[in-house]
Amino acid sequence: MLKTKGVTFSYEEDSLISFPDLELRTGENLLILGESGVGKTTLIQIIAGLLKPKTGLVELNGTNYHKLTQKKLDQFRGKHIGVVFQKPHFVRNISILENIMLSLYLSKNNQEPKEISRLLSQLGLKNKANSLADQLSQGEQQRAAIALAAAKKPDIILADEPTSSLDNSNCSKTINLLKKQALSNKSQLIIITHDQRLKDEFKNQITL
Amino acid sequence: MNTHKLGWRNLLSNPLNTALSLLLMTFGVGIISILLLLNNQVENQLQNNIRGIDMVVGAKGSPLQLILSSLYHVDAPTGNISYSLAKKITKNPLVDFGIPLSYGDSYNGFRIVGTTHQYPKLYDATIKEGRLWSAPLEVVLGSSVATINQLDIGDDFYGTHGLIEGGHIHDNYAYKVVGTLNKTHSTIDQLILTNTQSVWQVHNHNENTPEDPKITSMLVKFKSPIGLIQIPRKVNETTNLQAAVPALEISRLTNLLGFGLQSINTIAFIIIIVSGISIFISLYNSLKQRRYELALMRVQGATKKQLVKLVLQEGITLSLLGTIFGLIISRKAILIMSFYVDHKNTLDNLRLNLTKEELWLFPVAALIGLLAALIPIIFVYNINIPKTLSNA
Repeated sequence: MLKTKGVTFSYEEDSLISFPDLELRTGENLLILGESGVGKTTLIQIIAGLLKPKTGLVELNGTNYHKLTQKKLDQFRGKHIGVVFQKPHFVRNISILENIMLSLYLSKNNQEPKEISRLLSQLGLKNKANSLADQLSQGEQQRAAIALAAAKKPDIILADEPTSSLDNSNCSKTINLLKKQALSNKSQLIIITHDQRLKDEFKNQITL
Repeated sequence: MNTHKLGWRNLLSNPLNTALSLLLMTFGVGIISILLLLNNQVENQLQNNIRGIDMVVGAKGSPLQLILSSLYHVDAPTGNISYSLAKKITKNPLVDFGIPLSYGDSYNGFRIVGTTHQYPKLYDATIKEGRLWSAPLEVVLGSSVATINQLDIGDDFYGTHGLIEGGHIHDNYAYKVVGTLNKTHSTIDQLILTNTQSVWQVHNHNENTPEDPKITSMLVKFKSPIGLIQIPRKVNETTNLQAAVPALEISRLTNLLGFGLQSINTIAFIIIIVSGISIFISLYNSLKQRRYELALMRVQGATKKQLVKLVLQEGITLSLLGTIFGLIISRKAILIMSFYVDHKNTLDNLRLNLTKEELWLFPVAALIGLLAALIPIIFVYNINIPKTLSNA
């Protein structure tokens, strides 16, 4: 489970952002809503272990991972945390399938071709496995990014504005896929967005 | 898929940049390698043909010319000397033996040398077919002469006056082939040997030994190094002959050559350094374009070390591959060169195995790859993941 307590962060000396405490059990989802500039991305980067909070505590299954050394933190993040970015990122020179293989290699997971191809067909990307990211449409790229985050079956999936650039049909499709992946992997799912279309999709939500 | 394979894919995905870096590296290394090989080759050949000869006696003139013409048969002779005078020098108790050489004629560009049976012995040249000469006008062919001119035992031919083709043909007396020699990888392979009497006979148009017979030069070996100190000076000071010491002249020659090699070497090193800069630019540019994917890989669990290794791999792969290509190309180039240089070249005994100096090219290339990757590595090491990702 994920637990945060008294987390604050400041980019400059005089402005301090404080975040509400969170507690999320395995299999639970959370939607964090907020307008631009309230620190949504900052919060997700803190939970992802990419930014160190100024004060406060972030724990995943009892590990306060911000206390780890840089190398251990990298490996912890790789193994336990999957991130879906606002704009999908891929390694450009290799195919979608190889991207997934690489992410599994980097997070020290087994590269099971069968499981990956099942995941890709669940996300409707079966015939895109050998394409480069540049050859995919925006909706396909977003789904491939979900595949990248979900393939290693992380304890928690963090999604930062996963739908902001998608039209309505792609939007609900993407959210459903995210939820489905989280459910089947028993991952917790946190979505941070200003996208009001997602309001009705999640029971559990807070506003920053 | 792992970072190692990714490194290769990155190189292959940027074929033009990769090709440019490889090309420059290949050229730089190739030029240096050609120079090293040729240098080695020339030195080998020069040393190989000295055969323990301590002193060459000939007519006054350039000592280097005397050495080049009588030991390597590549230059014109300095003139003629009196055989009896030369023989007198060999009477000195410090002298082991002296071999007279009379030359100045040729056949199809191959030199005809009048000498004694000791000369082929000096070069460890053994009879392949037939026998050594025993009468005037009988000749024995070096192995290249026999194969290139397709002469066989029993064949006759006329000598040409002078050392190049197209001179006056001595058609009063024909030479007769009585034997051929095995390959020795020395100058004797390119010579036609006969006795000194034949040369006199062809030039004087009669069969009598002249009153004061002339030879071109005399190869002398001493019994002890003391001879080397005393005799050349004595000959130069007290007679109108010239004594030249091969070891001295050859080291003078290699010093002269060495200067030229040095400057080409410097240019080649500059090319290698430019190739290092090219590797640096292509690594740095591609990493700048790929900074999001580096941040992404870090998010996926890659450690800084893994990314540093990835960049290093790309840099060092380029420089080492370039080195290997350079070494291969230099050998091909030398083979092609030796094909175009005429049959009298001294390259027929090519040694193309890796030289000690060339082994040094590997660590140097690796170092250049490392230096080229250094700034990109610092870039990768200090990449700010949250900032990079939010600027996407």
